[in-house]
Amino acid sequence: MKNFDFALLGARAVQYRLVIMLVAVAVFGGLSLDDFLTVNTLQSVLDRATVVGFLALGLTPVLIAGQIDLSIGSMMSMAGITTIFMQPVIGNVPAAAAGVAVGILIGAVNALMVVVFKINSLVATLATLLIFASLALLLTNSYPLSSEDPIFGLPLTADFLWILTPRSAIFLIAAVLMFVWLKLTPTGRNLYAVGSDASAATSSGINANGYIAASFVLSGFFAGLAGMMQSLSTAAGSPVAGAVMLIPAITAVVIGGTRLEGGRGSSLATLGGVLALGALTTALEYNGVPSYTQAIYTGLLLILLISLDRIVSGHGGASSRAQRSVRVAPRNTPLPRRNA
Amino acid sequence: MNQLVAPARSLDKSTTPGALFSTLSIPIAILVLVVIGSVASPSFLTVNNLTNVLNANSAVGLIALGMTFVMVSGGLADLSVPANVAMGALVTLGAQESMGTGLAALMGLLVASMGGVVNGILIGYLRINPIIATLGTGSVLLGLSQLLVGGGIVYAQPSALSTFVKSSILGIPVFIWIFIFVALILHPLLARTSFGRWSLAVGGNYQAAQASAVPVRFTKAAAFAMTGFLAGLCGVLLALSNGQARPIIGTGYEFVAITAVVIGGTSVFGGNGSVLRTVGGVLITALIGNLIILLGFPSQATGLITGAIVLGAVGIDAYFRRKAGRL
Amino acid sequence: MTTESTPAVALRMTGITKSFPGVMALQDVDLEINEGEVHAIVGENGAGKSTLMKILAGFYQPDKGEIEVGGRKAIHWTPREARSRGIGMIYQELNLVPDLSVAENISLGAMPTRGPFVDYRAMNAKADAVLRELDTDIDPGTRLGDLSISQQQLVEIAKVVARQPNVVVFDEPTSSLGDKETRVLFDVITKMRDRGIAIIYISHRLQEVMEIGDRVTVLRDGRHIETRDVAGITPDEMVSLMVGRDLNEMFPKFDLGLGEQVLAIEGASRAGQFDNVTLDVRKHEIVGLAGLVGSGRTEVARALFGLDPLEEGTITLAGKVLKIRSPRQAVAAGIALVPEDRKGQGIIPGLSVRENFTLPVITRITNALLIFLGKERKIVTELADRLKVNPPQVERPLNVFSGGNQQKVVLGKWLLSEPKLLILDEPTRGVDVGAKADIHHIIGEFAQDGGGVLMISSELPELLAVCDRIFVLHEGVIAAEISRADATEESVMRAATGQEVAA
Repeated sequence: MKNFDFALLGARAVQYRLVIMLVAVAVFGGLSLDDFLTVNTLQSVLDRATVVGFLALGLTPVLIAGQIDLSIGSMMSMAGITTIFMQPVIGNVPAAAAGVAVGILIGAVNALMVVVFKINSLVATLATLLIFASLALLLTNSYPLSSEDPIFGLPLTADFLWILTPRSAIFLIAAVLMFVWLKLTPTGRNLYAVGSDASAATSSGINANGYIAASFVLSGFFAGLAGMMQSLSTAAGSPVAGAVMLIPAITAVVIGGTRLEGGRGSSLATLGGVLALGALTTALEYNGVPSYTQAIYTGLLLILLISLDRIVSGHGGASSRAQRSVRVAPRNTPLPRRNA
Repeated sequence: MNQLVAPARSLDKSTTPGALFSTLSIPIAILVLVVIGSVASPSFLTVNNLTNVLNANSAVGLIALGMTFVMVSGGLADLSVPANVAMGALVTLGAQESMGTGLAALMGLLVASMGGVVNGILIGYLRINPIIATLGTGSVLLGLSQLLVGGGIVYAQPSALSTFVKSSILGIPVFIWIFIFVALILHPLLARTSFGRWSLAVGGNYQAAQASAVPVRFTKAAAFAMTGFLAGLCGVLLALSNGQARPIIGTGYEFVAITAVVIGGTSVFGGNGSVLRTVGGVLITALIGNLIILLGFPSQATGLITGAIVLGAVGIDAYFRRKAGRL
Repeated sequence: MTTESTPAVALRMTGITKSFPGVMALQDVDLEINEGEVHAIVGENGAGKSTLMKILAGFYQPDKGEIEVGGRKAIHWTPREARSRGIGMIYQELNLVPDLSVAENISLGAMPTRGPFVDYRAMNAKADAVLRELDTDIDPGTRLGDLSISQQQLVEIAKVVARQPNVVVFDEPTSSLGDKETRVLFDVITKMRDRGIAIIYISHRLQEVMEIGDRVTVLRDGRHIETRDVAGITPDEMVSLMVGRDLNEMFPKFDLGLGEQVLAIEGASRAGQFDNVTLDVRKHEIVGLAGLVGSGRTEVARALFGLDPLEEGTITLAGKVLKIRSPRQAVAAGIALVPEDRKGQGIIPGLSVRENFTLPVITRITNALLIFLGKERKIVTELADRLKVNPPQVERPLNVFSGGNQQKVVLGKWLLSEPKLLILDEPTRGVDVGAKADIHHIIGEFAQDGGGVLMISSELPELLAVCDRIFVLHEGVIAAEISRADATEESVMRAATGQEVAA
């Protein structure tokens, strides 16, 4: 066919997009900045990527299950506020736990809306995004809460094992653990089944609703983790901390290659996407590019990748139910005909 | 294949609880809110207050009108609205000095419409998930708008146009007139033109619409282009009447618009809806917002209540759909 | 063949009766399957085979009747119960997950574990073992969605076989298999039978029934007609039993002179769907397109309407050669299609009857801007009256009407577009008797007025009563063209099942 080479090139580009991106960013950063390709930078990239990274990790199982969760930013804000607020009340560590617990709780609300009330996950999480963003503003009267114990959270971003910080280490471990769960355990495999073809999964005895609900709770857990860590690191609980995180999180997941239609995805791919995006934003930031311009690049990247993905994979991209084709008799079979 | 017959439906379903609920609920809700308002505060039922309420919500109202088409045709939602509003506002004020207010406003409209067209192409022709697409374009446009003004605030120069926008005709602010004017155009567009019919069909059953020779991709795309334009218009008007604009000018408008449309009875899944109902929804949303302030609730509670209402409305809608056999 | 004097009964279904609103699907059907036999079930489309199997699988509850598996009566019959009692179903529509591997699909829901982890080695070994039994070289690590349809079907079979069932039902298993794969399947079935498994084999391919079957049961109109040893029956006899009935319904047939050609298709092909199809329709003529499920009829119709355009071949409409690549082009050219899938592609459920009626031609009843609502209402009311839509309330949403009335609206909507060629795909499926007669009348009138009709139907009596000529498709190829004079149920059925039609 005429467009054969284009199609193949496109497919390959999409396949190796992470590598391409990382290389491109490395080149761009190395050329435009003096100390870009250093251990310090790597550590910084990893560390800053952690918060978005947790959100993206939590989003991954939801997408694999064929759903979407737009409320991760609001969950994160709520968790952060809770953590800081509870510090003087119940102590530092329990407060952190409380923050994560809030994330889980809101995740459970999402699960309830989608599984029990059968509200489309898009609409449901859009609504909870709104409700809890608003609640966060209400509870803090639109001001960030200051932590009573700003020193507690400092170690999170300290040096740790050469290129890591404690929180980026936790992030990497979480990514690996999730990978193990998704690829190597029965429940992980079942999750893919649910997202790939829910009815086929159900007829094999898998509780599709249960898995979907669990994915939302998991997303809440990770959002809670992200919020807790962010608030401890900055020693402040901001009601809008999570609001700007939604798009980078989705972008990271999409860059990584997890599809929106369910049935496919990998936490390591998300990890790659998070790193690529983190590297890009860091390189831009070190070059003095303001955050809103970064948003332009991020948005463009998202659109470009998703369009490419759609074009390359053909129409729909929806999970292909095996189409029955007709077995066509070979042409040289004599056709018995009766004349009219 | 089997000769199985789908269970025959009783023919008396047009008066189902669901249908009744949606027809009567708007007038009743408005009535209830007015009653609560007049009880709660003496200043509620004054011309001044009501005019202010309507005025303040006309901007969002414009967006809700466009969002109606988006939802009716099955496009779910346009989350790039804040960006298009910002674009409209910032371009207008930014170019005011060099081009004159009128041309600058037109530029603003143009830019916002382009944003809508891009959305339309991505969603209608490339069939990309509308949420992702509009989140992406919104991010790009918002960033662009902030780049234009260096992240700060832009002030307007006094002009005849802004004086006009801030004035009243026959005692009714121009803002409200514009809203009414647009509503008067869009209602028949949905209810009485081919395009409107196509929109309803595309949202009702995309495949059947396609098999009925409806230009499905164009229809879906047009809804987003329209919303982009209206968001831009909103931005232009806000900029001119406030005398200033910041990139965050449109924040939250998409959610209020969606709420208004949903409360008006349009289903998020598409296939039904009317501009008139959305107007009702805008009124209800406006009254609720007003009540929140009058009753002394903090303004941040608006989002909370809005979100809760959306959940409630969609939940009830989903419930009735399931009862009627997932129509 | 076993030589036991009284073979053990693996499955017994007695007195199964099942009805749906408007249709009696099964009436007092008995079925007895022995261990270690291949028991074929044959019957026309709509004879009740699928319903019977769905009851066996636990998806439907019979109104009356009992199920006995291995001598034990079934009390509470659900899909889970059926599965646990050793009933395995292999459907045409695959129940597999495209994004997981072959081995994972085979073990789906019951993956072998080592501690908290999936024991991939055991899972792959299990899949390997089963696949090797089926004599295929499919790599168990392959992603299922990457396999061909026939390979996926083999995986489906492997999945069921791996569960060590007592009774296995094959529902048209060879519809997507090539010759070699069919051989493999038969070998497997034979092995399973020899191991004592009871096998139910549903197929239209009577040659296969003759080859692999031990006994055969014929169903017709929801009733059990006869069960016989395969050795003691011929395909012809099977066909007679399948179709034998009196034509007791009178369909209107207008005797008209046939006009010039409206539609001619030449050499039409679409890979995997149909090949080298040539047919024509003339003015005033109703041409039938017969064939078994999966023979390519709907695909031809969709190609004519631009939904899945032709890859090879030409379409000539009223003398002009056309390229039809979209429904809009088809409508503009004067072609209309009443689709097979009414719910998915025919109706817009939330819109009113009126709005559904006028959808394809809405631009014809507008002035520059607005729709002439008055004119629309008038046209629509007349149409609803002519079609006898009941009740004649055109403002009601279409989804509250019965299937028959919905079908009338779909038909009417296309009549409104004033086509030269009307293609109908199963126009009276799921339609009650009264509406059916109405629809036939409408079709006849349309032909009388000068249009051409191409009608796809699985109901032979309908085709025989209404059509002037019948083309029969068999596996994507035109197997026969039968004139009204020569058309009988037997001749059509023979051509449809791929047998020689006596010259």
